[in-house]
Amino acid sequence: MTHEELEESVPLYAAGALDRTERQALEAHLLSGCASCHSALKDYQSVAALLPLGLSPTSPPRSLKATIMAGRNLAPIPAEATPTEPARPSLEPGEWMDHLFPPVAPARSLSLPWALGLATLLIVGVGGYLAWKITAQRAVDTSKIQQLEASLQEKSTMLAAVHREVGDQAKALAELRNEMHQRMNEAAEAKEQLAQREAELEDTRVQLSRQVRARTVRTPQDELATLLRIPNVKAVALTGSDMAKRAAGFLLYDSQTQNVWLYSVNLPECRAGTTYQLWAIHDKPMSIGTFQMDRGVTTHLLVKKVPSFADAKTFAVSLEPSGGRPQPTGPMYLLSRS
Amino acid sequence: MIEPALLDRVVKGDQQAFSQLYDHSSTLLFTLAVRILGNHEEAAELLQDVYLEVWRKVSRYDVGRGTPVAWLVTLTKSRAIDRLRARAARGYRATNSLEEGTAAQVVDLGPSPLETQADQELRIAVGAAVAGLPQAQQQAIQLAYYEGLSHAEIATRLNQPIGTVKTRIKLGMSKLRDGLREWWNHGELR
Repeated sequence: MTHEELEESVPLYAAGALDRTERQALEAHLLSGCASCHSALKDYQSVAALLPLGLSPTSPPRSLKATIMAGRNLAPIPAEATPTEPARPSLEPGEWMDHLFPPVAPARSLSLPWALGLATLLIVGVGGYLAWKITAQRAVDTSKIQQLEASLQEKSTMLAAVHREVGDQAKALAELRNEMHQRMNEAAEAKEQLAQREAELEDTRVQLSRQVRARTVRTPQDELATLLRIPNVKAVALTGSDMAKRAAGFLLYDSQTQNVWLYSVNLPECRAGTTYQLWAIHDKPMSIGTFQMDRGVTTHLLVKKVPSFADAKTFAVSLEPSGGRPQPTGPMYLLSRS
Repeated sequence: MIEPALLDRVVKGDQQAFSQLYDHSSTLLFTLAVRILGNHEEAAELLQDVYLEVWRKVSRYDVGRGTPVAWLVTLTKSRAIDRLRARAARGYRATNSLEEGTAAQVVDLGPSPLETQADQELRIAVGAAVAGLPQAQQQAIQLAYYEGLSHAEIATRLNQPIGTVKTRIKLGMSKLRDGLREWWNHGELR
C-alpha cells in the first residue's frame, strides 16, 4: 500500500471499517513511526470516541454499580495481565489506543447446563487451551513478524530512495567538476590570448611611438606650413648673387618669440672647411648663425633668436671658413632686396 | 468530564476514584453497549466486564493516545463488537436493526444527574454534527461503528460499490472531525 492509501485508510480505521489485512498494514505503518498518520488517527479516534454522545442516553440499572464494585474487590489487584488471559493475533478495529487490552473470552455468564458440563469441559478445555495458546502465540509472532517486515520494507524503500538521491547528487557533482575544468581551460586560453594581445598592443605602442617620433622630425615643408599659420609674421625675401644665381631664400620673423627662420633653396654644397653664415646688417654686419649645405640637399632651414630683427636693414648669407667669422670675409650667396 | 488525574488515582487503587469514574462514564458506556448489542441485560453484563478490565489494566492507560473518555469508549465498543461477532458465530440473530435499535434506546431522554452543562453542550454538538451529515454517510459510519462491519460488508449490505462506501465514511468522518475539532482542541473532551 502506498502512503497515500494508508493515510486515506485512517478515518476508516477509526470508524472500524477496515478489514483485518488493511488494519494490520496501517498498524505496521503506525508502528514504523509515521507522525502525520499518527496525528490524523488521534483526531479521528477522538471523533469516533465522541459518536456515542450523539445517542439518546440510557442509564444503566442501579444495581450494576454495586455488582461491579463487588466484582472488582474479587478481581485480582495487580494491574497486570493475568497469565491465563488468551493472547490475540491482532488489534481490533479502532483499538489502536488500547491495543494493550486483549479481549476477555466472550460470554462470561454461565447457565446451569454449562455448569454441569464444566468438569468434562475443563479437561478438554485445558488441553485445548494450551494448544490454542500456542497457536495464538504463533499468530501473534506471525503478526509481529509481518509488522516488522512491513516496517523493514518501508525502511528499505526509504534507503533506496536515499541511495538514488546520493547517486544523483554524485552525478551532478561530477558534471559540475567537468564544467569547472572546462571553464578553467577556457580561462587559461583567455589568459594566453590576453598575454598575446598585450604583446601585440605593446608592439603597436612601440610602433606608434616610433611613428610619433618620426613625425616630430619636422620636414622643412611641415615647418614652413606651421610658420605660415603664425599671425603677423614678417617675411624678407633673399635672392641669389652672381655666385649662385638659381639660389633663393627668405626669412620669417615671429615678433612674439623673436625667432627667425631662414629658408634657402638651391645653394651650392659647402666645400670642405667652409660653412654658410647669415648676417643681419644695420650699421655693420652682425652674425646670426651658420649652417652647412651637404651634397644633394636643396633646401635648408636655420632657426635663431634675433632680438633686433626689426632694426636690420639688410640680410645676407656668405660662405666662410668653418666655424664662421665675426665679419663677412667670403663671397655673398644670398642678399635681401632692401 | 473525566480528568486523567482521576485515572491516576484509580491506578493507585483509590476506590472512591473508581466509584467516581463509574458515575461519570457508565451512562455513556451503557448507552453505547445497548446501541451495539440491542439488549439491556447483555449491555449490563458487558459493562461489568469492561469496568473490571479497567480496574485491572488502568495502569496501562496512556494519555498520549487519547482522553480517558476516548479510551473507555473505544474499549467498550471493541468488547461489544467482540460479543456481537461471537453471537453471530453462534448463529444468534441479532434483534436490533438500526431503526429498531434507535427506537429501543429512547428510554431515558433526560440528562444523567452527573452531567455538567459542558457535557450537555457537547452531547448536543455531537448530535447536531451527526444529524448534519447526509443520510448515506451517517448510515455507512453507523454500520461500521455500531455493527462492526467492514467497508466490504457494508457495500454488500447496501448493495453499493466498495469505493462509494469508503468515500462516504471518509467524507463523513472528515466532516465530523472538522465540526467537532474545537471540542477536543479546547480540552472540553476529557
